[in-house]
Amino acid sequence: MSKCHIELSRRDFLFAGASGVVLVAFPSMGKTTQQKQGFYPKEKIIQMARLRPGQVHYFEYPQKSSQMCMLVRLDRPAGGGVGPNQDIVAFHTMCTHMGRQLIGRYNHQHKVLGPCPVHLSVFDLSRYGMLTSGQATQSLPQVILEQKNSWIEAKGYSQLLYGHHTNSR
Amino acid sequence: MKSFEDSIPLPPSDAEEISTACDYCSIGCGYRVYRWPVGKMGGPKKNQNALNINFPAAGLSGNWISPAMHNIINHKGVQHHIIVLPDPHMSVVNIEGDHSIRGGALAQKLYNPNSLTHDRLHKPLLRINGKLEPIEWDDAIEIFAQLSQYAIDQFGRSSWAQKRYSYQFFENTYALSKLAWQSIQSPAFAEHDNPGKFPSTPGLIDAGIDNFSACYEDYYESDVLFISGSDPYETKTILFNQWIKRGIEEKDNRVIMVNPRKTSGVAYVEEMDGLHLPIMPGTDTLLHLALIRIILENGWEDRDFINEYISTPLDQRKYKKSKRKVPWRWMNSYDDFKAESFDDYKTWVLNSKESQLQFVIERTGLSAKQITATAEILAKPKEDGKRPKTSFFFEKGLYWSNNYLNTASLASLALICGAGNRPGQMISRMGGHQRGGMTTTNFPRLEQPREFEGYHRQALDLDRWLESGKLRFTWVVGTTWIGSMTASTTLRDAIENQTINHKVQLTSKKSVIKQAKQRMDEGGMFLVDQDIYLTREIGKKYADLILPSATWGESDFVRANSERRLRVYSKISDPPGEAKPDWEIVALIGKKMGFSGYDWKYPHEVFAEAAQASRRTIFNFQNLADEAKRRLTNTHEVLRSFGSEGIQAPIQYRNGKLIGTKRLHDPNYIIYQNDKRLKTRFTKGMSQFKTTHGKANLIKSPWEYFEDFYETVKPRDEELWVLNGRINEIWQTGFDDLLRRKQIRDRWPHNFLEIHPKDANKLNIESGDMVKVSSDRILVQSEEFAGDTLEDNRFKNLLKKGFIRTVSASVELVAIVSEVVRPGVTFTYFNFPGSTANNLVSRVPDPISGNYRFKLGVGKITKIRESKYKNDLSKMSFAPRYPI
Repeated sequence: MSKCHIELSRRDFLFAGASGVVLVAFPSMGKTTQQKQGFYPKEKIIQMARLRPGQVHYFEYPQKSSQMCMLVRLDRPAGGGVGPNQDIVAFHTMCTHMGRQLIGRYNHQHKVLGPCPVHLSVFDLSRYGMLTSGQATQSLPQVILEQKNSWIEAKGYSQLLYGHHTNSR
Repeated sequence: MKSFEDSIPLPPSDAEEISTACDYCSIGCGYRVYRWPVGKMGGPKKNQNALNINFPAAGLSGNWISPAMHNIINHKGVQHHIIVLPDPHMSVVNIEGDHSIRGGALAQKLYNPNSLTHDRLHKPLLRINGKLEPIEWDDAIEIFAQLSQYAIDQFGRSSWAQKRYSYQFFENTYALSKLAWQSIQSPAFAEHDNPGKFPSTPGLIDAGIDNFSACYEDYYESDVLFISGSDPYETKTILFNQWIKRGIEEKDNRVIMVNPRKTSGVAYVEEMDGLHLPIMPGTDTLLHLALIRIILENGWEDRDFINEYISTPLDQRKYKKSKRKVPWRWMNSYDDFKAESFDDYKTWVLNSKESQLQFVIERTGLSAKQITATAEILAKPKEDGKRPKTSFFFEKGLYWSNNYLNTASLASLALICGAGNRPGQMISRMGGHQRGGMTTTNFPRLEQPREFEGYHRQALDLDRWLESGKLRFTWVVGTTWIGSMTASTTLRDAIENQTINHKVQLTSKKSVIKQAKQRMDEGGMFLVDQDIYLTREIGKKYADLILPSATWGESDFVRANSERRLRVYSKISDPPGEAKPDWEIVALIGKKMGFSGYDWKYPHEVFAEAAQASRRTIFNFQNLADEAKRRLTNTHEVLRSFGSEGIQAPIQYRNGKLIGTKRLHDPNYIIYQNDKRLKTRFTKGMSQFKTTHGKANLIKSPWEYFEDFYETVKPRDEELWVLNGRINEIWQTGFDDLLRRKQIRDRWPHNFLEIHPKDANKLNIESGDMVKVSSDRILVQSEEFAGDTLEDNRFKNLLKKGFIRTVSASVELVAIVSEVVRPGVTFTYFNFPGSTANNLVSRVPDPISGNYRFKLGVGKITKIRESKYKNDLSKMSFAPRYPI
């Protein structure tokens, strides 16, 4: 079972300035849940012009936190999507079932991430990372994006990351 | 609603640790519960938390606490945090804390008034003037007892019925059966998925094989696995992920999946050099017979095994003598089914039309190539003469579509391949729910009103018994009943007419007993529903009296998983309000009615009493009860000492130690039975096949016993098959997860219909469209007794005698266009809240066994409109469940 074991970095990922807590409604939560966004730094991820449909851009968010994320232009409007067609989304890439990395598992035809090689979970990236099939008890954490001029910026996560007891530290 | 959070509280180092097991599927994974008072909090350093690890937890360590694993509950009246974590230290079942989507969210099922569990039942309710009003327990029990007594005295014991779950823990099922069978002595009884007291897999039983003889190691040890009528990834997750998948990856095991749908597990298996046989619904018997013929013609059968373990005429002579023990289903048709010997069986197969490849191909929808390839994988010896170790596993798709013939023919196929009693060579059900049924031994057989030749009494079909107006007092415990049976609109109408539409209604608390008696006198029925929620019509709409139950986590209970592993399911929180566990409610009723033997104060007392009844079953735990006496403690405590790994029944006692039993029927696994000081003796069926002679029987399966019904019911003209079954994310009727977990509600806000693109194109249907599935030719057997013989009960004769009528029904479903199903076949969830696909299924029981053919739904499909989910990006996903 430890075949595909991937060690999570022990390095704490530091979120900038946890001073003010701003509550902003995030559509993936329906209209009820609100996010503590103030914990998360705002970071530039990629320039719009560099994005091609289906091409996956990997990045760490926050920078140098070892939290791997992927950003992709789905080419179809998506929940939480930004850009002129609302089709640019980003997600944390660790499966929320048992913590396997899902890097390299994006399927552009169906806009899903998975199946996870260990327990076959699949996440729908066009629907806020909802579990399409599998064993995870929550969606894939979505990186909350914002378009600022020609840049896509990250400004938070939609929910708790695998392995952690809190995102805000 | 706590689905989306970005932090969870960690249990402090001194948090209480409690072992338990999952409440959901048959696998019963081990769980560890942490409980501590609100106000305290653990920290992320190893010495600051009860998990004794540094956070963040490592990937695949099994140590992460997802937000779904946390809740806040009341314990002894004080608010406590609770974490229900898949036990990361498991070395059996769910190794290293693996878990399913269901079990991973167990914490969310516990009662918390600020969550989606807020509507748990708190107090007994009585329907007065059509409205449910709270009443005191004393009054509720008084009403129950008086009206029960009246029904029994005035209308006979069989006018009093109990319809209940079969599996919600030994303590409850034992207590419930004690009251119904031993004290009240009513034969009007049925469990949640049968219309009467019939065995679910009669063909297997007649062959001498126990349903749960295998252990999970067998799923790894087999070289070849023939899995029929279920995708264990979807419904027995950990069995697949930890045992089947690991066997494929580490040992190159080959898996053959017989399933009309290509679900996730099936697609995975196919990728890994396995085979998928997308069989047309209901035709498994033919596939089995074709495989048997190919194996016999090539001489691939396991000769050594057959010579040693298949019964001969000499063995069977003994069997024939005990006529009383012959199941009623054989009374008049003995010769049509039972093979005298292997040679007799072989002759029958080779001379029967139903085993001929052409006949089989035309009906199963499989190709000759698929069938011959399967036969080779199953049984062809390798070049060195060694046989593959082949096991046969199955579940409801097989036995709820063609009950007797499918189970009998699968058993014969497996036996011919040498499976049944050896490591990696077993025949077993995989299970749906866990095994929590323990009944007293004295079912009031002689109270069954229908007697016929050979001292036999026919078991009641409770649905038809109710519809024919014979019931006066009916007690439903923990089942939806109406939606769980087929063609359920007819049952619903009958219940409605005998309760809320009856001319005598209950108008005041004071006159309840008088008015209810009057209703009974005038042909009506008093209906009691005992449950944890009031979600379905049986309670919400029809029941006169509602009794609130306590469930998993609210009392100590014991249950077994599908490899007979017993665990204590520990009490974690207070039940809501005045809710009580079912055994306690039974005790109150038993005492009030003046019966003796209901003085239980603790659940372990009921469990210890049930030990005696367990001795004739595969769950024999008498040794556990004896050990408790030796240790001067109670039976729960002895079992609790085995933690979340538990012990496999039957429980043996050797050299001063309790020892579990891995596998049944295995002659090399000696079950200790010579110590005269021990109370318990193990029945022979534990280490031999379960027949009087200890050998297995081959059972013939003549297609004609099913053909008449099948040819009538199968789709005509524009109709398609409308199969029904389960999916991974939803447990049973959704009462406990779908309706209580936001993430599941978002995933499945409405019931769905999977339809193949070819069929969808013809009907102009796209994913996300709302479709109507309807049928106006749902067949219903109307008379309670159709005749004495099997011949009388066959469909063609029922039809001739006018015992079959047709009804109509429809359901609205959200279409998912998908190649998961094959053309001509659609699939939907069987008993979704507000959308009961079982309504579309004919209600003509298998004449041989009395069971329903739940899977054989048929309907016409039309598009109504676009559903609101078609373009809603926050609800329902239409992406493939296993993208390839």
